[in-house]
Amino acid sequence: MQVPHRLRNQRRARRPRESEKVVKIIRTHHRFGLAAALCFLLSAGPSSLLRAHVTQGPTSAASKTLPRLPGGRPDLQGLWLKSAGGFQGLFIGSLDGTNLAAGGARGGGRGGRGGPVPTRYEYTPEAEAERMDRLRRGYEDPEARCHLPGVPRALDQPAGLYPVQIVQDEKYVVLLHEAMHDVRIIPTDNSPHPKNYWAWDGDSRGRWEGDVFVVDVSNFNGRTWLDMAGNFVDENEHVLERFTLIDSDTILYEATITDPTVFVKPVEMRFTLKRVPAEQQILEYSCLEGERSLQHYTEEDGGKKLRVK
Amino acid sequence: MNVRLLRLALRSTAVSGIVAVLALTGSAQTQGRGASFSPARLWDGKTPDFRGIWQVRDTAYVNIEGHPAEKGIAASRSIIVDPPDGKIPYKPQALAQRQENYKNRATADPSLKCYQAGVPRATYLPTPLQILQSPGNFAIVYQENHAFRVFHPDTRPHFDSADWWMGDTRYRWVGDTLVTDVVALTDHLWFDQAGNFHSNEIHIVERYRMTGVDTIEYEARIEDPLVYSKPWTLRTVLHRIKEPGARIIEDECLEDANGVRHHISPYDPKNLLKSDYSRWKKPAEK
Repeated sequence: MQVPHRLRNQRRARRPRESEKVVKIIRTHHRFGLAAALCFLLSAGPSSLLRAHVTQGPTSAASKTLPRLPGGRPDLQGLWLKSAGGFQGLFIGSLDGTNLAAGGARGGGRGGRGGPVPTRYEYTPEAEAERMDRLRRGYEDPEARCHLPGVPRALDQPAGLYPVQIVQDEKYVVLLHEAMHDVRIIPTDNSPHPKNYWAWDGDSRGRWEGDVFVVDVSNFNGRTWLDMAGNFVDENEHVLERFTLIDSDTILYEATITDPTVFVKPVEMRFTLKRVPAEQQILEYSCLEGERSLQHYTEEDGGKKLRVK
Repeated sequence: MNVRLLRLALRSTAVSGIVAVLALTGSAQTQGRGASFSPARLWDGKTPDFRGIWQVRDTAYVNIEGHPAEKGIAASRSIIVDPPDGKIPYKPQALAQRQENYKNRATADPSLKCYQAGVPRATYLPTPLQILQSPGNFAIVYQENHAFRVFHPDTRPHFDSADWWMGDTRYRWVGDTLVTDVVALTDHLWFDQAGNFHSNEIHIVERYRMTGVDTIEYEARIEDPLVYSKPWTLRTVLHRIKEPGARIIEDECLEDANGVRHHISPYDPKNLLKSDYSRWKKPAEK
């Protein structure tokens, strides 16, 4: 297959410079998807939508029409995009100033910076102090340095930006995240977590509970931030995720994050993934460190920036 | 790499050469070679089942044209099967560039900067890959730098308005062989540690063919009229990794501000909390 010469010329002209630290391809057409999703949530009311399915799962009428694999499991495959919710460090607004990213709180600005900080995380006193410190040291966010985002942040990216491709068979559910080209290969045999393994994304073991795909995630390396606003976990993080196919174009994602040394009660996270139209595809993301702009790095990391005390 | 200058220098000759090159080549090499093997099928009863964790066994990642043994690295023969001499048919200026790359390989290899390895280099790295498949879906996850490729059916045109580290892949089944068409690879990529390179005019046709239960023959026909005088083909074999509990291990490769490359291993206990982020606990421990 030959590429038309015209396109190839375009390609050369638009080739990103090597010096660019982060190359993010943001597709403008997703904005329309985001707007549509927001309209849907505003009209339907997210709480009623979610409550119905958290407690009961898909209705019997809906469950009959769900796409399924031959073994009978719901078919989660496709390209999906987070529609709203989650991600505390971003303002996702409606016209009346409601920040949907902050659970519907009024007020402007980006949740972590200008506006009020949502209080969904209940920290121990020591962890609270650390969290406020990290809020001031936002430039230390490991994802900003191209580290893997961890769980649930791998999915909990700014709504409408980075889709996730799911491939599924009888042994695995695989999440191929556009963001940070993060990969989670989740065995579905409920096998035990390994010993002596500490990863950014931890270790994921899945199982099917009826039509719900439940993932137990452990073995974190303790360095993960949950968002850009300094919310964090340590190596005692444990996540229980639930993927529920509500209808053929919607996955309800729920995560319960426990971390006894950081939180006094579990953090509940919940948002939906909407199917991306078939004519769109996942793109490549590359995050390139090493541009040596030393003024952005702390002295401990070999840079010139002084730590904020 | 000075590919842009090279491109200007070569453009006039390239255009006249490309038509003849396209007419002459085909990938007839694969046809009829070896006994045919009929792979298992996915649950649709049709699609050949390539799933599994795979890895090459040679050291062609050092130099795909072959290399003598070095300390800690076994020798390898060339994996280039066409032309028969096993050498990449560089144009003269391009060959000079390759020699320059070779001279500077200790610092100039783009993989030292933790870039994704590109195609076909990711295939024959000394780290495994996992093929993920279901009817209508085909993706490869490479352990190295957690790169992945989602193969898209060739019923839609390439998404090539930018250059990618892992290119844009379209595929179709030809019998039991998966045949891809890959374009839009950036010109920052090398084929190996020896400075073999291409421009962003590269066009690759890959062939994945199971030759047994535990082997995939991998072939890549490479065409780049700016750099090579004619298309050439490399071929290697991916072997199934059968150890119980084998998995793709999380591999983060990052270059720090001083240009030092780090692979962060989840099996290294030093990695656990090897970070100033953990200092918040120190007062509590006193």
